[in-house]
Amino acid sequence: MSTSDAITTPQARALRLDGVALAAALATLLCVAPVLVVLVLAVFGAGETVTFGANLTRDGAIGTLTLMLAGGGGAIILGAGAAWLVSLCRFPGRGVFEWLLVIPLAAPSYVLAYSYTSLTWAGGLIPYRIEGFWGAAFIYAVGLYPYVYLAARAAFVSQSSCAIEAARMLGATPRAVFWRVALPLARPGIAAGGALACMEIAADYGAAQHFGLTTLSTAIFRAWYAHGSSQAALQIAAVLLLAAVAFLIIERYARGRAAFGGGSSRWRPLPRYELNALAGTGALLFCTALIVLGAIAPLAWLARLALLHANVEDVAGPFLNSITLSAGGALLTLALAAAIAVAARRIGAFGRTSLLAASIGYAAPGAVIAMGMLALFGLAREAGWVGGFGAGVALVALMWTYAARFASAGIQPIDAGLARLSKGLDASARTLGAGPWRRFMRVDLPIAAPSLAAAALILFVEILKELPATLILRPFDFDTLAVKASTYASDERLLEAATPSLLIFVAGLAPILLLTRSIAKTRAGAHE
Amino acid sequence: MFNLSRRAFALGASATALAACNPSTGGGEENFVNIYSARHYDADRLLYNAFEEATGIAVRVLPANAEQLLERLRAEGDATEADLVVAADAGNLWRIKDAGLLQNVTTPALEAGVPARLRDPEGAYWGFTKRARVIVYRKDAVQPEEVASYDNLADARFRGQIVARSSTNVYQLSTLASRIERLGAGNARAWAAGVRANFARDPQGSDTDQIKAVAAGEAQATLCNHYYYFRLLQSDDPADRAVAEKIGMVFPDQAGAGTHVNISGAGVTLHAKRRDKAVQLLEYLVSDAAQTMLAPLNVEYPIRPEIPAAPGLAALGAFKEEEIPLDALGRHQAEAARIFEEVGWR
Repeated sequence: MSTSDAITTPQARALRLDGVALAAALATLLCVAPVLVVLVLAVFGAGETVTFGANLTRDGAIGTLTLMLAGGGGAIILGAGAAWLVSLCRFPGRGVFEWLLVIPLAAPSYVLAYSYTSLTWAGGLIPYRIEGFWGAAFIYAVGLYPYVYLAARAAFVSQSSCAIEAARMLGATPRAVFWRVALPLARPGIAAGGALACMEIAADYGAAQHFGLTTLSTAIFRAWYAHGSSQAALQIAAVLLLAAVAFLIIERYARGRAAFGGGSSRWRPLPRYELNALAGTGALLFCTALIVLGAIAPLAWLARLALLHANVEDVAGPFLNSITLSAGGALLTLALAAAIAVAARRIGAFGRTSLLAASIGYAAPGAVIAMGMLALFGLAREAGWVGGFGAGVALVALMWTYAARFASAGIQPIDAGLARLSKGLDASARTLGAGPWRRFMRVDLPIAAPSLAAAALILFVEILKELPATLILRPFDFDTLAVKASTYASDERLLEAATPSLLIFVAGLAPILLLTRSIAKTRAGAHE
Repeated sequence: MFNLSRRAFALGASATALAACNPSTGGGEENFVNIYSARHYDADRLLYNAFEEATGIAVRVLPANAEQLLERLRAEGDATEADLVVAADAGNLWRIKDAGLLQNVTTPALEAGVPARLRDPEGAYWGFTKRARVIVYRKDAVQPEEVASYDNLADARFRGQIVARSSTNVYQLSTLASRIERLGAGNARAWAAGVRANFARDPQGSDTDQIKAVAAGEAQATLCNHYYYFRLLQSDDPADRAVAEKIGMVFPDQAGAGTHVNISGAGVTLHAKRRDKAVQLLEYLVSDAAQTMLAPLNVEYPIRPEIPAAPGLAALGAFKEEEIPLDALGRHQAEAARIFEEVGWR
């Protein structure tokens, strides 16, 4: 964290307008614009508000907060625990779990919610009902733990083996090593992953609505759908966005000013604990349970439903559309995120602020960002910059919305990757006369390359799962898998929704498996 | 790894270019009509296909939620490409009209096709199917006479025995709005509070989930749209059919004001670029051909009584419908939402 502060020379603090800074400023502006429009409309927009908006907002805030504690806390415990097991322990199947544990990332929360409902409610296979607050918390914990797992695993793996070896030589038990060395060292990673999971929870509408919970997200839609007041919806959305700002600041603070220099730069395979038979079996069961609960059980149930209803419409078109949109959206978002993350490391306070600002959208439901985008479009139309909302404009608006919504998911891994940049490297390059772009291309990018790839894959999967913004902004006759699944599900046709839901998962699986490979490679000298 | 992302970029760029060339989004030919639809039935697609075959006019559809379509229409203003809006529930249609996004259309074919009560008085939207808000109950716990009226759901007899969907859903809003229209806000509030007091759990899940909860013994009765029950009855999933076996259905208030009936309908957008084609499609939707085709595909009721309903529905015979103008559902919508909020039915 203070890495950047330390290398920031007074010269840089004077905010030199170099190319990277300009690119970052532009990227930030793009990411923030739809959010800002929502905030402005919430304050100045015309339209009636609902009288009990305050009650809704209060109940929603309590709901969101408690769900973040229960669901997000669960995701952190499960994700960090699993990451510790596969990174620093040895037990049967460890190498396989290292890959498999990421799989639930491909399943959207709303798909998990629908599937678990059908699986455990009346007529389902399992008599114990997944419902209400704890049902939602369960879905979030088993569905979102991979965010924490990925970040924590990267943090554990990139730790210098020296600290751990030193601790062991000094006689520390495995437990003590975990609590007093590995965990504190991995704290920034766990905090970043936990923050992503919590923001996902804050932004989730589908699962929370399905379980009948009042959260800020469902309150937005309650004001909008039930009370027909999009103005009140925007105001609650503004509260959510401001809460996200506060949350991000707290998260940054919670990571502490920890900067981990030192250690040896000679990498060796991490020393792993050999777990005894009992503990090994426990670890095996724990990891298996995570994968079964987060992916296999709900998806197997969907597969059964999909097989029951054979006359499926052609899903090839939606499949191709989903892949295209996700790839395009991921690359655009990645470019913006990279510029912002690099600038944040280079130019102190300004960069940090833009990183924070660009991350806000992640806590907002896609539909809110889409409303901001529609408002922007309205302004552009009045100014005569664009004509109709044709296919081209719609696709651009959609990609832009993805960037505003998901920039944070790209920034976090890149930022974490850049954190490995040794303090002296940038300074050396500068001393050797390298300009900002040259340093960006020759130093920052190669070092961040693995995290860039990881960010691209995460973004691809995020956009693949995204629903409400796609629903609102897409062109005519342009269905994606998520849209297909949702239109059937909203019509309560779970059988028909099963096939597109499964395909979302299938399409997300390949990038996710690539992702785990790229992580395994992040540690220089890693070999099994 | 860097190489990989460069290759991925090339792939993404070409894929994006491909999408831009997609003829269905580019709009090469001019003979088409655009629909914003909040109805997502496969039956509708078949109907549009039949229209295309009959007229040569291609139908392009953008499905989304009614509220989202409304926001998009509002933002697009006169630049919109949408010619016709299709939505389930008169409450949704009224909202789009109220936002000034529909134009009034009246033609002899429409007037002959849609009973006066099932359309907007000014012609902003026209119903083309009907659905009934029925009570379903678990046969081994409840006698049909015990749930003969919506009022029964508020009886002390059902303390802890009613499940209900969230009042965010427009079907619930319209059900309460119809009561406000007939009996006044005070009566509606007392009823909502009474039903709320009988809840077996906080509202969650869909209409279908409520039916399943009743079948599983979590509650004894609930409100739902009639076709959800029929879908379970005719489902490909044997578990669904087992649920329906345990369930009975009544058309409430047959001795009183009649069962609450709502519509799916459509209206021509204010800034329709292809108004004539939109009207043509609207007329087609209420034509004998379309109505006869729709009946067996979807277990909704045809908009005109003389068109035979789907076999399963026809077997139940005719029932008495609540006689209120449907625009009342829109007019009382805000008040219904407020009442639900106040009695704690979320």
